[in-house]
Amino acid sequence: MNIKKTLATMAATTFIATGAWAQDIAVIGGSINDGFWNILKKGVEDAGLMVEANGGSVNYLLVPNYDNFGPDLVTLIEQAVAQGVDGIAIPVWVPESQMPALLAAREKGIVITLYNAGADKMEELGALNYFGSDEYVAGVAGGKYLAEKGAMKILCHIQIPGAINLESRCQGVVDGAKEAGSETYVVRMPANLDQDMVGTSEALKAELIGDDSIDGIITLAAWASDAAANAIEQLGANDRVMLGTFDLSSSVLSRIESGKQTMGIDQQPYYQGFLSTATLFAHLKFGTKIVTEPVLTGPAIVDASNIESALAGVALGAR
Amino acid sequence: MNKANQDQPPSDIEDSQTSSDSSDGSSKYAGLFRRPETGAFMGMALVFIVFGFFGYEKNFLSVIGSSTWVNHASTIGIIAIPIGFLMIAGELDISVGAVLPASAMTLGVTSGYYDLPIWIGITLTLCIAAAIGWINGMIVTRTQVPSLIVTLATLFAVSGLTLSLAILTTNTTQVALNAPGWAKALFGGRYLGGFRSSVFWWIGLTACFIFILHYSKWGNWIFALGGDKESARNAGIPTNKLKIALFMLVAVCTALAGICQAIQFNSAQSPTNFTLIFNTIIAVVVGGVLLTGGFGSVMGIFFGTLTLGIVQQGINFTNIDRNLSSLIIGVMLLIAVLMNDTFRALATSWSTQKKKNGGDI
Repeated sequence: MNIKKTLATMAATTFIATGAWAQDIAVIGGSINDGFWNILKKGVEDAGLMVEANGGSVNYLLVPNYDNFGPDLVTLIEQAVAQGVDGIAIPVWVPESQMPALLAAREKGIVITLYNAGADKMEELGALNYFGSDEYVAGVAGGKYLAEKGAMKILCHIQIPGAINLESRCQGVVDGAKEAGSETYVVRMPANLDQDMVGTSEALKAELIGDDSIDGIITLAAWASDAAANAIEQLGANDRVMLGTFDLSSSVLSRIESGKQTMGIDQQPYYQGFLSTATLFAHLKFGTKIVTEPVLTGPAIVDASNIESALAGVALGAR
Repeated sequence: MNKANQDQPPSDIEDSQTSSDSSDGSSKYAGLFRRPETGAFMGMALVFIVFGFFGYEKNFLSVIGSSTWVNHASTIGIIAIPIGFLMIAGELDISVGAVLPASAMTLGVTSGYYDLPIWIGITLTLCIAAAIGWINGMIVTRTQVPSLIVTLATLFAVSGLTLSLAILTTNTTQVALNAPGWAKALFGGRYLGGFRSSVFWWIGLTACFIFILHYSKWGNWIFALGGDKESARNAGIPTNKLKIALFMLVAVCTALAGICQAIQFNSAQSPTNFTLIFNTIIAVVVGGVLLTGGFGSVMGIFFGTLTLGIVQQGINFTNIDRNLSSLIIGVMLLIAVLMNDTFRALATSWSTQKKKNGGDI
């Protein structure tokens, strides 16, 4: 069944590929104001060099922000279709909104590959592959890690209340910590504090002052981890509070190096951008296909034990 | 003074282009030039030409390509015109950023999660929105607090309420919604090669709003309110009632946009849409409405919204590095507004030249 579907897609693709003189693909992603997406963009651009060397092109389309997520994503899918691309690489964040548009795109013979989110939609979309990690599983890993290191009450900080991927990360932390016998306290900050370092730092400080039994914080973005580290520093609570975060940045890693932060959960966005772009193009151009599916790029936990190699990657903008 | 411009019947906008050729300015073309929407139209034409040129290779001008930026503009446009009414009347409403997700969630929870008939969900959604608008209007008219602050407060209050009610009732912040066929056709369909239902709502509402603002007594009242509140009240205009009605109109139109969005995309999310606040105000100002009130037109706002749609979506049809997107959007909008201002200045000086045409107030 699955093979049949793939063959059908491939047949359609070959037809289009021979009809057009270049393979154009669109990569649809999140806002580049977000550090995570800059790393992913580097992956897309690096793969883009290979694509261009082989006569294709990559158009990187991104949502301006996360305020109107579902509709914005559908608009981008429609734009990619309007531009006549042969392949689309995209995360599935809002399946109810995105699926009809993606299925319509597939009807036109466009090959779809998924990354970052939406592994469970692979079959329905007849997608080429999936490159990413699972938010919930990563949350469980993070919650368990801090709890096993001795944190009894972990604060899980959500910077955009209502964003479903963030909610499932914290749900994972709750369950992971519970497994190891610890408690989790989920804090949903008002969305206007998103990307606001000072505001978030003060708000987290208030939480730490208000409840001195909190001995662990997990933030869901690298910048939020900077804010949390600042709050902990201000209170001189480095000995009391362990800090973990989703996603890496140079400041996260330098804190791990100097012992001010316990860990970072990496889903290796560089690979998500690079592999989805490169394999999609290679499939269109050369007919190749990775047999393993889905391809998991995380969670990989970075702590004091493996910090050296991670630091080298950050300096080059790939971690 | 400005009101005088509104009383002329709208004529074909295309003519305004040819008017630039006739340097001597016969009275017919002078009238077109003086119209407040001419500047907004010129701004739109400029960005359209720019992106039509740079995006040609990637089908910016094709039917399906244009549908993407028109669709994007339609959600903003439905809300921007009533916001424009408020701004002409000298007030502001930024609570729309919370009313849109609140409306989508209300519909999603009632008709999606609890499976109630869609018409009940829609009615309830519109009623709740009207109530929020009424609260905004009551507080603004009964206190001396500026509407910016009042609606800022309701923005946060409504978004907090949306989030907590969503968690309380459904235990999630994103609900799925499957609307029946007729509702899908009316609010969430696709026509003429990709245009969403909201586009037709937008065009229909624009026609209604042109009548209200430019041909009915309410329109006169709105301009009077933004011009001089005291004289408006002395002239017997029910200023407080009018303001409350305008706030309710904004909220209900926002709810309509939310309903279209939830049904179109089969889902509703609760995060606050802060961008919508900027987008609606930008569309109104690019459309030639003065931030100080008292001047503006519906067609101007319509063109302003299209300008915004073209600039924000057009960028994706070009080969420009995405890191520069925001920069280009900012610069293009500035150019569009400058163009608009130039035309307005031109229009104003022209009308003083021909006093007998424009001095009936």
